Amino acid sequence: MSTMKELIEYMAKSLVNNPDAVVVHEVEKAGTVTYRLSVAPDDMGRIIGKQGRVVNAMRILLRVAATKDGRRATLEIV
Amino acid sequence: MANAKASVEVTAKTVEEAIAKGLEQLGVPREEVEIEVLNPGRSGMFGLGAQDASVRLTHIVASKPEQPLEEITEQMAPEAEEIPAQPQPAAWPVETVELAVGLLQGLIDRMGIKGKVVARISDEFADEEGASTLVLNVTGKDLGILIGRQAETLQALQYIVRLMLSKSLARWEPVVVDVESYRVRRRRALQRLALRMAERAVSTRRRVILEAMPASERRIVHLALRDHPGVTTRSIGERDHRKVTIIPK
Repeated sequence: MSTMKELIEYMAKSLVNNPDAVVVHEVEKAGTVTYRLSVAPDDMGRIIGKQGRVVNAMRILLRVAATKDGRRATLEIV
Repeated sequence: MANAKASVEVTAKTVEEAIAKGLEQLGVPREEVEIEVLNPGRSGMFGLGAQDASVRLTHIVASKPEQPLEEITEQMAPEAEEIPAQPQPAAWPVETVELAVGLLQGLIDRMGIKGKVVARISDEFADEEGASTLVLNVTGKDLGILIGRQAETLQALQYIVRLMLSKSLARWEPVVVDVESYRVRRRRALQRLALRMAERAVSTRRRVILEAMPASERRIVHLALRDHPGVTTRSIGERDHRKVTIIPK
């Protein structure tokens, strides 16, 4: 279960200029785990991407990890 | 799956339904069939003038997928081992290859997928990405989940790996990420389909509309027919519904 969090941290830290500012919070509610990812303000663009392309790709990979785990997971950027 | 038929023609209300029915009849996943839209169908108004859609599905992977895949993997393994011994042109130093392999392996491990990354330098994607590309192929069992519908997951995986690698190298590197050589197989299948449908367009003197495909796959079809003497190609439709049309000259 911590692997999903690790996956998000792994992706985010490899994509930003300030890996130390990457924080992932995990909230579980009604069978769905919500991950809240925050990064340094000037890294927001890198983590979201044009038209959300980067965060959407991360969501797709997170979905695979969640499926493997038999759970549902969502990713929000805060 | 006792002796699956190689090809079926199915009719249903919509193309999607027909495809779903056909896949059920063949008992194979969508990635393993070529889909030809024989008739896109029409919904009509109040049931008037409605026409059923029909498609032909052809199974393109042998009924025992395990076997050919292993063969392909074995052919790749020695190539990958040669990389350190016989360095490729400066573009792909060993450290870069190892970095790329490590990034992808790190991703799939954290996704809870049991798979192994095998790297090779190849020119088979030359028309898409330029001369010699670094290809990272994930091998293992039950990796369909890493490919996804219309290869959506595979595309996401490739995109993230490219971003991660480019960040580390401080330059854009269009590495190709593949799973069980899906891209190689799909590409060959699309090229064969393109040629066959071009022949049909020429012989029937009518345009042939292929099923909706992502941009990367439409590109393979366009390129396969670029120098064909008898047809031109064009993509029609919007976003997820864009289809290649093969038009006789």
